[in-house]
Amino acid sequence: MNKENVNSDPGCAEANDARLIMLLRESRIAPALPPRFQEGVWRRIEDAAAPSKSIGSVAWLDTLAALMLRPRLAFATVAVLALMGVLLGTYQGTQVARHDAQARYLAVVAPNPLR
Amino acid sequence: MNRSLIIVLGALALGVAVFAGSYFVSQRACVMSMTNPADDLSWLRDEFHLNAAEMALIRQLHEGYMPQCAEMCVRIAAKKQELAKALDNGTNVTADAQKKLTELGELRAQCQTQMLRHFIAVSQAMPPEQGRRYLAQMQSLTLGFHEEIEKSMFPTAGHEHHQH
Repeated sequence: MNKENVNSDPGCAEANDARLIMLLRESRIAPALPPRFQEGVWRRIEDAAAPSKSIGSVAWLDTLAALMLRPRLAFATVAVLALMGVLLGTYQGTQVARHDAQARYLAVVAPNPLR
Repeated sequence: MNRSLIIVLGALALGVAVFAGSYFVSQRACVMSMTNPADDLSWLRDEFHLNAAEMALIRQLHEGYMPQCAEMCVRIAAKKQELAKALDNGTNVTADAQKKLTELGELRAQCQTQMLRHFIAVSQAMPPEQGRRYLAQMQSLTLGFHEEIEKSMFPTAGHEHHQH
């Protein structure tokens, strides 16, 4: 019966809630913050926000990878490598063809048993 | 770090593949385009920068020399067979085997003389400077083989004949 009375009076219920909140606040024990707590919190926030710092050998690897991912540089490198391969291949091919032709001529005019 | 490493290794592999691919393709293409298996004299034309008239004369000399060369080859092969037969029975170098060896040596000398005469004739069909270069190259390539063997027999080359 009392319960119904409490619930039926909204003003009384609000007063009770406010009292309850105050009591809970008062009963909570707030521990003392460690020294320079706020400074530490800000430092952590800054560290988390900053890009991850690499150390030693990893730093140059990251830089190199970033360089390699630049489209212009990548295309230029591939083009230079392909050109070098073609030039060297052509030079070597010329030498091989020349050597083969010489060997063929020699095999005709001076077969091995005669040399 | 792993991502960077994968990117760097992948880029290196791609670079190697691009270089190797272009190298092998261009090399094969060059060899295929420059090789003319039908013409044994193509090397002379390219190496000694010969014109059509010079090539025609050299081709004539070459065609005249080939039957002589083939005949010598047949005679040498026959003499080698005779020598093999003479050496077949017994462990000593018989008088017959010795005779065959001498004859084989004489045949080879005749063949080499004939070959050198041909080289000289060909060199004379070329411009003087190219002719000298051709003759020197041919002598080194055909007679140099024996020189190498003979050089290896000198004591300075580490091979000594000990007297027992």
